[in-house]
Amino acid sequence: MNTPTLSKTKKTARGIFGTLIIPVAVGLILWIVCAANGVSMFSNAQSLTIFVRGVATVMLTTIALAINLNSGRFDFSLGSVATLSAVISAQITLNAGGNALTMLILSIVFGILLGAVSGGIYVLLRLPPIITSLGVALLYEGLAFTITKGSNVSFYGKTDVSGITTNVLYMLIIIAAVLLITIVLFDRSRFGYRYKALMAGQKVSVNTGIKEVSNAVVCYAFSGALMSIVGYLTATSVGIISVDILNFGSIGVMFSAFLPMFIGGFIGRYSNDKLGYLLAAITMTFFSMTYSALSVKSSTQSIINAVLLVVFLIYLSNEKTVKDIAALKHIRNLFKKKTDGETNND
Amino acid sequence: MKTLKKIVSVAVALALIATAVLALASCGEAKKVKIGVIVADATGSEALSFRNYYKEYIEQNYAVEFLYSDALTDAEAEKAAIENFITSGCKAIISLASADRPAQIEQCEKAGVYYAVASGVLNDDEYAKYKDYKYYVGAIGPSLDVEYQTGYEMAKAQIAQGKTKFAIYGAGVGYRIDMHVQRTAGMLAALCEDESTTYGGVSIPGAIIGSLYTDGEVSLSKFQSSKYELVGYHALWNFGDATWQANLASVVAAEPEVILCAGTGLSVFGQAVSGTNVKICDIDSFTSDYATAMQNGTVTYLAGKYASSIGPIFAAVLDAVNGHAVKTEAGEALALGQSYWVATSYAQFEKFQSADSVANPIFNKTLLDTVVGDSISYGTFKTFVETDRTPA
Repeated sequence: MNTPTLSKTKKTARGIFGTLIIPVAVGLILWIVCAANGVSMFSNAQSLTIFVRGVATVMLTTIALAINLNSGRFDFSLGSVATLSAVISAQITLNAGGNALTMLILSIVFGILLGAVSGGIYVLLRLPPIITSLGVALLYEGLAFTITKGSNVSFYGKTDVSGITTNVLYMLIIIAAVLLITIVLFDRSRFGYRYKALMAGQKVSVNTGIKEVSNAVVCYAFSGALMSIVGYLTATSVGIISVDILNFGSIGVMFSAFLPMFIGGFIGRYSNDKLGYLLAAITMTFFSMTYSALSVKSSTQSIINAVLLVVFLIYLSNEKTVKDIAALKHIRNLFKKKTDGETNND
Repeated sequence: MKTLKKIVSVAVALALIATAVLALASCGEAKKVKIGVIVADATGSEALSFRNYYKEYIEQNYAVEFLYSDALTDAEAEKAAIENFITSGCKAIISLASADRPAQIEQCEKAGVYYAVASGVLNDDEYAKYKDYKYYVGAIGPSLDVEYQTGYEMAKAQIAQGKTKFAIYGAGVGYRIDMHVQRTAGMLAALCEDESTTYGGVSIPGAIIGSLYTDGEVSLSKFQSSKYELVGYHALWNFGDATWQANLASVVAAEPEVILCAGTGLSVFGQAVSGTNVKICDIDSFTSDYATAMQNGTVTYLAGKYASSIGPIFAAVLDAVNGHAVKTEAGEALALGQSYWVATSYAQFEKFQSADSVANPIFNKTLLDTVVGDSISYGTFKTFVETDRTPA
């Protein structure tokens, strides 16, 4: 009776360890680095707000990227959806005198529409998503520029629309709500089961009656909704929407989510990948706060982030070897082979 | 069958006439001189006010058409944009982008296209090299000395008010944008006039400028003073970047009395300082956001350019394209300075804002026509540019 219980406990402990090791270890290391330099990640009253906002934007972007990328669909239009949905909702809200909630709801509605259009273009044209999403990115960047007549959208003096991004509780609610909806939609619903079936084998799934077209469009629409929230949070927190993103100026947003996506995927093996994206976002935001505290130049930040990404990918590709080395298995095996050889010779 | 033939004949004839009419009409349009404008900023308030002046006022009053580039952030992009304009038949290029001005000048000289710098000038070495180029019209705008002086006077004005706790926003210092480097150096030099204050161990303006070009930033650890505090530094425009946002917030959280900004300070800090006692001093243009900010006391000092200040360089370009380029007495390209208008109160700001609009610019057609022609002397042009037009 004791053996299964022990095994279950061991499994749970392993799950908790695997889930928390990266954010906890990174947080600790960076805290030590900051302390050694006489600074702190959380040095002022605004730090917590910035941290939570950073976690929210990274997590949402990562989930938005992963939804389609896990199915092999590269989506370069994420940043442009965020900008265009924010531009449209801001224009309506500022002209009609709405508040923060109005703008957030409008952003989500337009985000869903823009995402669905992006997905619609992909399923209609039947071209590789890497091509259609680049086209959509150009189109949306141009539309954002045209709607504003090339002028950045300024929220200066419009405190009504920035209430959410200055309130930690509201942003925590957004994080929790998005996480819950994503888990229910992708892990606990018929849509989610079909999504996973399509991921595992599209041809077989389609033959069993699963409609891959509608599934893909819903994925794009959901991704659009998430990016619209990112657009809203970014715009209202800094007080400006820069439309100076013509000619693929918006696609960097997608690349910023790669590292947290891989980290989230790794954590997901021990628990749930969506929870993994949240913890990965926390990890990445620890880095951002440290860069700020240590006044690290943006060029240096890019190099560090790139190195981290490459190192993590190398680890994922050679995980078994790395683990074996860490457990000294190679040396033991070599030693064992040598000993066996000597025994046989005898 | 005959009727059908008649209908077809009439239709073909009508089509030919229509084509001829359209061709003639387009011939008329072809007389418009195409001028390419390359810009580093396409969406900022100053950039848009310049663009509106050219597109909505100058195009309506002169037979010219302005073609605008996207925002160009590097030399390669500038080169490609100029190539595009040359292919499109532009007779001249007006540059508001400064990643690689020597390359721009060389490219236009080779192509036989006139080239001019708006709202800025070449440095001394560059001017010495290019002043005799046939197609280099010249540069009209705040000189680098004026940029330095503008930053210096901004900081001096705050010191005169008894302010001692500062932060600096260097805008494009990270990209080594000349005007932002000069303005920031001017601010630091003003603080370094105090005996106890040094930057990097020195207080000489030249050394401060050199240090900023080398580091690409203001280093807080280099600032030493027993009188002033420099509690924060921020730069660039990475609005979507969490680290950039965190640094912006930490600058405000350090509670400087005033943030000295080398440009676009309100766009960057406006939201962050609302509800605090932190004030902004800035160098930008006279837009509605600044009106609100000056009225509510967020911005207490604004050195600004006015939209039609780029009128004189247009006049110089038009003269050159028409074959009557204005040159100095020595036959060299123009290098004329302009200065900023400085508003320290809302009343002053309002006066400046209403003095120059697209509908009624300071450099209007009547004024510009005094220097557009075939016998404009250098003296006349110089006086035209350098006359103080600050509203009384």
